[in-house]
Amino acid sequence: MQGAILSGDDLSKIISTLVLIVVAVGASAILWIGVNLLFNQVRTSWTRFNALAGYAVGFLLLLLLQGNRLLKPHGPDADSITRLGELLWTPLLGALIFSALAVILANNDDQAQRLWITSGSGLLLGGFIGIRLAEDARPELEILPLLLSTIVIAALSAGVALLRSRNPVPAALIGAALGWLIGGFGVPELGDGSAVESAIAAAVPGLAFGARIGLSKNADVAGRARIDAKSRGAIFLVPALFFVTVSLIAPTLTTIWLSLKDEDSVDFVWFENYGSVFTDVNSFDVGDWTNIFTSLLFILGVLIGLGGLAIGLVLRKRTGDGFSAGGPAFAPLMIAMVMIVFGVLSVLRGTIMNNLWWVFTVTVFSTGLGLAIAVLADRAKLESVAKSIIFMPMAISLVGASIIWRLVYVARDTSKSQTGLMNAVWVELGRWSTGSGIPTVLGTVLVWVLVALGVASISRSLTSRAYDKVPLRALATIVLLWIAYRFTFDGIGGFRTNSAGETVSDTIFFVQDQPFNNVWLMVILIWIQTGFAMVIMSAAIKAVPTELIEAAKVDGATESQVFWRVTLPQIRTTIGVVVTTLIVLVMKVYDIVKVVTNGNFGSQVLANDMFEEAFLFSNTGVGAALAVILFVSVLPVMVLNIRRMQREA
Amino acid sequence: MGSNRPGVDTAIYGFLRRIPTGVLWLIVLLWSLPTLGLAVNSFRTRDNQRNAGWWNVWRDDGLTLENYDVVFSASATAGLKESLLNSFAIAIPATVIPIAFAAFAAYAFAWIDFKGRKWLFIATVSLLAIPLQVALIPLLRLYNFGSHWTIPFLEKTVTLIPDFDLVNTTTAVWLTHTGFALPFAIFLLHNYISELPSDLFEAARIDGADHFTIFWRLVLPLSIPVLAAFAIFQFLWTWNDFLIANTMAGTNPDAIATTIRIANLAGDFGRNEHLLPAAAFVQAFFPLVVFFALQRFFVRGILAGSVKG
Repeated sequence: MQGAILSGDDLSKIISTLVLIVVAVGASAILWIGVNLLFNQVRTSWTRFNALAGYAVGFLLLLLLQGNRLLKPHGPDADSITRLGELLWTPLLGALIFSALAVILANNDDQAQRLWITSGSGLLLGGFIGIRLAEDARPELEILPLLLSTIVIAALSAGVALLRSRNPVPAALIGAALGWLIGGFGVPELGDGSAVESAIAAAVPGLAFGARIGLSKNADVAGRARIDAKSRGAIFLVPALFFVTVSLIAPTLTTIWLSLKDEDSVDFVWFENYGSVFTDVNSFDVGDWTNIFTSLLFILGVLIGLGGLAIGLVLRKRTGDGFSAGGPAFAPLMIAMVMIVFGVLSVLRGTIMNNLWWVFTVTVFSTGLGLAIAVLADRAKLESVAKSIIFMPMAISLVGASIIWRLVYVARDTSKSQTGLMNAVWVELGRWSTGSGIPTVLGTVLVWVLVALGVASISRSLTSRAYDKVPLRALATIVLLWIAYRFTFDGIGGFRTNSAGETVSDTIFFVQDQPFNNVWLMVILIWIQTGFAMVIMSAAIKAVPTELIEAAKVDGATESQVFWRVTLPQIRTTIGVVVTTLIVLVMKVYDIVKVVTNGNFGSQVLANDMFEEAFLFSNTGVGAALAVILFVSVLPVMVLNIRRMQREA
Repeated sequence: MGSNRPGVDTAIYGFLRRIPTGVLWLIVLLWSLPTLGLAVNSFRTRDNQRNAGWWNVWRDDGLTLENYDVVFSASATAGLKESLLNSFAIAIPATVIPIAFAAFAAYAFAWIDFKGRKWLFIATVSLLAIPLQVALIPLLRLYNFGSHWTIPFLEKTVTLIPDFDLVNTTTAVWLTHTGFALPFAIFLLHNYISELPSDLFEAARIDGADHFTIFWRLVLPLSIPVLAAFAIFQFLWTWNDFLIANTMAGTNPDAIATTIRIANLAGDFGRNEHLLPAAAFVQAFFPLVVFFALQRFFVRGILAGSVKG
């Protein structure tokens, strides 16, 4: 590489980044440890605790007032607080006064004196703050609401205290203070009053709060232990609970609220947003449902399913066991299910149907493949290497994975050589099967050898009376036979015949061709999540007691019987865990669609739709409604998951 | 099929029996090809990448580090370096702060007696059910405007959280990550911390240790395995995240994370297509290092974290 890796600009960026990290982490740490140390003083030194706590309370209270520009500024600039000193001067002074008062109280146990001190200083401080209030924060007192709210709230507080069989006087004092504040500052327009009025509005609550504090006693040893224990619970919980409230609980409630309002969040439209989601053809389009019955996938799926059903019914009559996992009817029924779902969901389009398709495909294939790989790798040579490679995509970001697969799916003009792996293989296959010469002959031989192997495997299972394997092997052989037939006669792969009758290359637009481009997007997530399913299930398989497996083998069970009858029932809960986890994860799929198609070509999903509605089209109502739909659709599965987690914990 | 010739039969059946192992390694090969292709292309020149697929690399006239050079240079189109720093500025606080807060809360839920402890714990863990999409719109508004509440009937607006002008900063991104990580982190750490032997705590209490000391001197050192597992999971989650980073800081070139930088590069109508492999590899470098160096912790973290919303 040329030149230095880091320039001066980079260094300053690194330094500012580091400063940001240190400040963020350090400030939180200092605050938290500081509060802990403060409350450590409760048991060791009551006076010191009161001094520090008084300081903190006074500082914060006045900082709140000064920071909100409710107090008159000190500087010459009347409108803004430009210097830190202007902001901090009053709070620091207030902190000192509060601190001094707290120290006096901590060392004075005479009840009458305490009451006089606190009420008096409350009155004075309240009045002083009232006089210093900024002009536009002064209230014009209205006597009736003032008295009314004071009396009502004080009476209510006293009543509640009486119901809980507590002393009503302190509660009434607090209630009166709050009532006076609400009646004095809440009801009237602010900014019309005089200094005297605002002094009265602030002094009375000061008096009431002061009196309430004066009524309390200095805590004895038991009381201090109680304060210590209670405060500790709060100190340890509050940081987490604060973040959870601000960034989860409140936003969720707000989103539900917003989803009932219009695009500018002004007027209530009730469920109109939800209605518009379900009536919009982009999100829900089932108009072409009759096309299901002409879709090849659906027809073949139904046929295979009927075949599986017939096998199962006959078996049940003969042996009483027709549809067990791993039985002859199992494979055809599973294949039929996938084909029918693909047939249906490739016809019913729209965001919601697409999400269902994603959930079905990724969950089924990741779980199935993960289980298969876990079984195949179990006790294989180099097991850990194989598992590492399958699991590695979990470490890569979804954006990175999308980039990786874009490269695999690239389709270039057919006059150039293909740089995407899949189209290269596809076009090459087309050339191979339609050409002439030694490669084509070799290929023809190869496909027929594969057919022969398929036939051999069927005859093997027939002669060894392993009839349960016949249906799957027969299906595989039929597919191979079809491929061999196409390869030999019509040709197979990426080619087409142009108007001049020549055979030319033809590519698949994996990303653009609807509706199966969705499946190619799903492949990306399957590629990532199979490793996850494999690791969990591999651990579960290894945890199956060896005695069980040995006992089954002694009884003459074959490898596959051991798997279907012993191992699989043992790991059933684990499969449940994998499936529920994947359902929730896939429901929220976003990054892949965003990076590869950005929702174009009929590949839109709920999460990307929600993002676009809310943040690109500023249609907050519909965006919020889509988010709530997402929430509601993962909720049942999440509830199951959380209950399981709590049982396990 | 030639049942009178047992030699051929045995050979064919022997071949069929080896199929499972063959299938396994075939799958492993298929799984590694996409990544391999990207890795190879990241060392090829623009022309080579455009003219032939990566499997033709043996025909190229040598490999080059040019793409890496370009993505690391500070030009407007690539400039991955700053976004790497942004990713660190997001991922480090978003890992350290939730761990600390969750450890406090988990300790409180496990070992501090207070009323409604069990109920509060269940409520906190239940928040796992919330998908992060649900919180995005209000959170973005919060970072944009702060939080204000108009009191009903009195018609006075109170500022609950002032506007700190956080939108489009890395701070907004890690704050969001912190909130979302907490329910799961609390659940995971609580599982572990509540299983610590209670004799230990009683002995410490008899010696006069307060909760703060017990937490600092006893619980934190004993919980290092679970803290490491969560840290790795959370670091990868935040490093690889796209949605939150894009919503909270996606439009500010000075604050965007690597994932967004790469997604933007990919949406460039192919002009920088040849830089993508190198950029994607740089982005994946740290996760891959974690993956190969700390695989045991990584597996534990991913498995435990699979339920996170």
